Amino acid sequence: MSSKSKGARAVARRRLGPVLTHGASALLLAATLFPVLWLVQMSFKTDVEAMRVPPTVFFVPTLDNYAAVFQGKFARSFVNSLVVSVLTTLTSMLLGVPAAYALSRASFGRSRGLALWVLSTRMAPPIAFAIPFFLTYRWLGLIDTVLGLLVIYLTFNLSLVMWMMRTFFDGIPRSLEEAAAIDGAGPLQAFARITLPLSGPGLATTAIFCFVFAWNDFFYALVLTRSQALMAPVAIVNFMNYEGWEWGRIGAAATMIMLPVLAFALTVRRYLIRGLTAGALKG
Amino acid sequence: MVLLSPALLVLAVVTLAPFAFLLLTSLTPLNLARPGTWWDFSRPLANFVELPGDSRFLNSLGVQLRLSVFTVAAQLLLGLGAALLLNRDSRVLEAIRALFIIPMVLPPIIVAIIWKVLFTPDISMLNWGLGLLRLPQPAWLADPRLALPALVVADVWEWFPFTMLMLLAALKMMPAEPLEAARIDGAGPWQVFRHVVLPLLRPAIVVTVLFRLIESVKAFPLIFIMTGGGPGTVTEATNYYAFLQGFTYSLLGFSAAISVVVLATTFLVSYLIVSWAGARVDVE
Repeated sequence: MSSKSKGARAVARRRLGPVLTHGASALLLAATLFPVLWLVQMSFKTDVEAMRVPPTVFFVPTLDNYAAVFQGKFARSFVNSLVVSVLTTLTSMLLGVPAAYALSRASFGRSRGLALWVLSTRMAPPIAFAIPFFLTYRWLGLIDTVLGLLVIYLTFNLSLVMWMMRTFFDGIPRSLEEAAAIDGAGPLQAFARITLPLSGPGLATTAIFCFVFAWNDFFYALVLTRSQALMAPVAIVNFMNYEGWEWGRIGAAATMIMLPVLAFALTVRRYLIRGLTAGALKG
Repeated sequence: MVLLSPALLVLAVVTLAPFAFLLLTSLTPLNLARPGTWWDFSRPLANFVELPGDSRFLNSLGVQLRLSVFTVAAQLLLGLGAALLLNRDSRVLEAIRALFIIPMVLPPIIVAIIWKVLFTPDISMLNWGLGLLRLPQPAWLADPRLALPALVVADVWEWFPFTMLMLLAALKMMPAEPLEAARIDGAGPWQVFRHVVLPLLRPAIVVTVLFRLIESVKAFPLIFIMTGGGPGTVTEATNYYAFLQGFTYSLLGFSAAISVVVLATTFLVSYLIVSWAGARVDVE
């Protein structure tokens, strides 16, 4: 009898365990995502509605904030951000992918030194780059230009591409290229016809990382642009002026800025750790 | 070499050359408002001599230290707790894990805005909730005692998913035998955690902490949007102070000197990570 009830209790605990785990996880997730959702709901409220106490959960949503944001300077900064992020991604990939391939295929003994270089450029505080780039750009007339931003974003994206693509290339067996060589393909042909097509997922993931890092930048855009090459993360600060914050517009602009990042991030989440720690792990 | 050299050349131009330029600038009294200061190397170490006596710089180091220590400690505890909670094979948990990455991939400026909203009394959901509980409703970011803790909360929220993912990856790769052996020997869940899981996690914890320590220097957007370094200089971390000196007061020589100090520290910690990670861990 007692052993039976003990067994029943053990079974109950085994069933209860997962329920508790799932419940607690869902609760933690809800708490974690609440601040984001709060900002998003703010974008559908008028400023009067947003300031109401107690906060309203059921309200008539308005798209006025989005309309206002689209018409103002913000729309242009959004396009600027897109252009710069796409161009910097293309440039880093064009330069970095062949280099990563070379690193992967030639057996260099000093990959540790390279790891340290890659890591310290990625880890360096942005101000350390901002000062020399600012001075150089003043001299070259590159302040407030798309080109200027593109180049400074290479400081972190190029090393990222080299590092990430190298690990992807390492995973593609050399024997395939050797087989192609026997069939008379040159090394470049083997790379273009065999290795590159096989590394599709790696290329996509790496490109997304480049895009997101450029898109998320605030500091360089703040220091190196004024009005012509204004980027979205800096433009949003303009909604915080002396008369007060335009809450609704801030919410709308912020929601638009985070949408592409969220879409991309959820597609590459499997590689997230690799991208964020590039250069340090798998050294 | 044809494939490699263009990238290395560009990388050298955009990373090594600026380092050299930064170092040179830190040896000059460069002030954009005074034209003669550009290549003035007459007193090369003047900035570095000045630093230890600059009370605002020393204050900024203290702020940075507190910010780093508190955020990293909280991220580690919260991330470890969440990792242990989510370390179970299930479809649902997998989906939940995926959504946890949202805070850390958001643009930092958006994170700053989210928390500015939550910590601004006029509009704060948080203060309304405190009011319901009849608790005081502080003006978080304007209160010298609460401004830094508010920044810590925002930073912990942004980055605990990172520690969670790193530790989850380490938990997943943990061999099953020692755990089972401990259980068979009659160890309770806490004992298994304390004497088996934790020691096995240690290398991953060390790397994760070092990572977060370096990156904790980059809380710039949070400070810029939420407090502007204030009230007073309570939240003026070193990077923010360097930014003010360089780009608000145009004292780029002095700002460069501060940056060199920060950079040297960063480099040291990076070196530690590479040695540690290269030698012991293989986290994917």
